[in-house]
Amino acid sequence: MTCEELDSRLDDWLDGALAGEAARELEAHLASCAACRERKRQLRRLLAHAAALPRSLAPPRDLWPGISERISRPSWSGFQLAMLAAAATVVLAFGALVLTRLAPAGVRTVTMPAASPSGTLVAAGGTVSDPALAQAEREYEQAAQALLEALQRRRALLPAEDLAKVESNLQVIDRALAEVREALAKDPANPELNRMLVATHRKKVDVLRRVVRLSTEL
Amino acid sequence: MEGLVGVMIGATRTLMREDEDRRAIELRLVRQAQNGDLVAFERLYRENERKVFGLCYRLAGNPELAEELTQEVFVRAWRKLGSFRGDSAFSSWLYPLTVNVALSERRSRRRRDARIVATEDPASLERAPRPPAPEAGFDLEKAMAALPPGARAVFVLHDVEGRTHEEIAGLLGLASGTSKAQLHRARRLLREALAS
Repeated sequence: MTCEELDSRLDDWLDGALAGEAARELEAHLASCAACRERKRQLRRLLAHAAALPRSLAPPRDLWPGISERISRPSWSGFQLAMLAAAATVVLAFGALVLTRLAPAGVRTVTMPAASPSGTLVAAGGTVSDPALAQAEREYEQAAQALLEALQRRRALLPAEDLAKVESNLQVIDRALAEVREALAKDPANPELNRMLVATHRKKVDVLRRVVRLSTEL
Repeated sequence: MEGLVGVMIGATRTLMREDEDRRAIELRLVRQAQNGDLVAFERLYRENERKVFGLCYRLAGNPELAEELTQEVFVRAWRKLGSFRGDSAFSSWLYPLTVNVALSERRSRRRRDARIVATEDPASLERAPRPPAPEAGFDLEKAMAALPPGARAVFVLHDVEGRTHEEIAGLLGLASGTSKAQLHRARRLLREALAS
């Protein structure tokens, strides 16, 4: 056995995972090589040192107040957030369905209002400060309103059944928006709720844009 | 002799009863916490904070970060408490959660925290060995903190915490051969630091 071979097996030997002929070869090498014996001695000392370290360490300060504050903070449950996400998904899926069923080839585009808020909403780090959020809401509401007016002018062109579904799903989104706003009023700094509000607005505008585009193609 | 055996059996039974009592109390606290009782959860925290902080401290290699990680572990534990069925001790349930939080938080912070990036370079310890220190003053905690993160995690779990390579492989999502290779690397670097 060479010194390199011993080095690669010494861990197993010290951990009791080397037996039989392999162990005997390693031990024979140790008996004849002072450098490897020194390596083994150092390693044993290191392992004894590590094993003697206490596994439990007291934090330098009481961490409970911070934990208690975080878990007591009013926030949306995972279930509520999942329901909200599901509602938005339903709307998007419906929009896609309508487009798939009814949209003819050669889709025309509808110009978004000039105050399109994309790219101006989320501050660095993914959180939205209050003034920025308020401004974003205004811009999204303006965009949604312009699209709703466009939809209103074209509603006669859409099948009544599809229109009813669109309106029903828009109500779901509006309820979700109201609930997120309500939660934000209690917990304005919650980044999850900030993101959720912006995302829900964006989905509403996206759905409206799709439906309006569809109506221009009928 | 028979008297001694009897005393030992009696002592063992007493210890087992105490252990059962402790588990029963713990399970009751967990059930109360699952029903929203924050006072019960604080007692669970107090029982486990030292173990969790110790593990976070060594996995993160940074005491300030370990405080944040410990808080994160218990916040997540509170949120996930519904999944604890009581099949094991609460501390056993908390263990993989602690490892996961400590390592995943460290990874996400690595991208934005230069002080951790400084220890992320696997070759840094080899290129710039610590200044020589007398063996009596060898600071193993400091030397472990300077290890590359992967090697540090395996060394802490194997040589400090006493976990097997199979357990480490499960906790870290590695092959056990990778765990062994990381342990070999960590021991070599620490042995060199100890000898310097």
